[in-house]
Amino acid sequence: MRRRTNCIFRFRILVVAATLLGSLSLNSYAVDSSARVQLNIAKAAPRAVESLTERGILRDYSFAWNSMAQALEFNTFDPLEGPFAGEAKNWLRDTVASQQHSGVSQQYVNQNHQLEAVFYAPEGDVMELHDTAEYQLQVSDGGKLIHEEHVVLHFIVLMTPAADRWVIRQLQAVPQF
Amino acid sequence: MRRNFPIRESRIALSACLLAASLLGVCAAQELTVPASVTAGEETVISTTGSGTATFYLLGPGVSRKNEVSLGQEIHLQARDLQTAGDYLAILCSGTCRSASFYVNAAKPASVTFLVHPSRVPVGQSDAVSGVAFPFDQFHNLVLTQKAINFQLTAGSSSLLSQSVRTRDGVAWFRTASGKAAGTLQVVASLDDLSAKRAVQQVASDPCNLHIQGQRTANGILVETEPVHDCAGNPVPDGTIVTFTATEAGGKDTVDAPIKKGIAKAQMDAAGAVVVSAASGVVMGNEVRIGAH
Repeated sequence: MRRRTNCIFRFRILVVAATLLGSLSLNSYAVDSSARVQLNIAKAAPRAVESLTERGILRDYSFAWNSMAQALEFNTFDPLEGPFAGEAKNWLRDTVASQQHSGVSQQYVNQNHQLEAVFYAPEGDVMELHDTAEYQLQVSDGGKLIHEEHVVLHFIVLMTPAADRWVIRQLQAVPQF
Repeated sequence: MRRNFPIRESRIALSACLLAASLLGVCAAQELTVPASVTAGEETVISTTGSGTATFYLLGPGVSRKNEVSLGQEIHLQARDLQTAGDYLAILCSGTCRSASFYVNAAKPASVTFLVHPSRVPVGQSDAVSGVAFPFDQFHNLVLTQKAINFQLTAGSSSLLSQSVRTRDGVAWFRTASGKAAGTLQVVASLDDLSAKRAVQQVASDPCNLHIQGQRTANGILVETEPVHDCAGNPVPDGTIVTFTATEAGGKDTVDAPIKKGIAKAQMDAAGAVVVSAASGVVMGNEVRIGAH
């Protein structure tokens, strides 16, 4: 009888562990896949974008949007440290501070970014990109959903190389390119 | 930007209206009308319809405002809420929520961010100096309307470049050759009455016509260059390395000597007849023959 109880107990532990692992892996998948970015470097000028740089931009831009989504959803500043600098970081921090005060939060769901490099400085110290971003925007107030819509936004982006990554210095939505 | 009409909200609103209409025989949901576009740092108003009170939200870059408003009256948006260019979302909730979005555009240019490379450049190099300029408004928004930026490069009293370039997507750039004479190159980007100045130090290029002479001394041989210049006649900066190589029957001896006050010199051990040559970078000098002791 005791042995059977142990078996059931172990089975339950196994189920709980499997569920936890499953949810963890699902979560990490969701975080990894939340910002899908496609980069087109064909029009970059006057300097051509090197393949290593292309990979770096893809990685860092995707990471930046994931971080921004986290910051605006949980109203925390930490995710903004690293992927953003200058004016972009300033207004994102202001937004988070303002949301902390108002109790509002934003969720960016199913992000898709069509990114195009349009200017790459001769010395490689700044790149301008156009991003056509598409996502489901959810706005909540105190946890209650007050607004949800599918948006397509155009962003002018300035990125510069930092010590170990490319950072977003300017992120400015515009009506069209 | 395109915003699809929020289907979920409209359904909720419709349901609410139908319920209210069935109960009261009337349905007067709140509406809001936003400006077509706004300039950064300027006040604007959002007009509303309906009656009673509602909760108003303004979400945009750098702002998340929430306050109670009276329906049927204008909502005043202050200049400080609209300083960052971008997309703003206004939401009005009274039972149901209605939303509308608008853009804030950059104001007129107030500064020019100017990146120039390199800070130090050899003379006579093609496409060696480049600059990139971005106009920003007083709130640090990138100005995207086309502007003419004048790039001017001057070395001493001579002008190396004067070029007007129109910004495209908020950026203008140039690339040009370095000048002929060593010295400071002034690089200026100007937009109307705004300007940004940078300096590039032009230095001598590789040595040209490297010429050495040598003589025997009590301890060996002393070799030295004549004053080292580049091909444009600029003195090569002190610290530039000249390599002296002495070849004699017994083998080779090599000494690296930095240029000091325009001349590089080295004391070398050599008892027998020797041939001494010199090189700096990829430039070879003449050879001198010095007899045995």
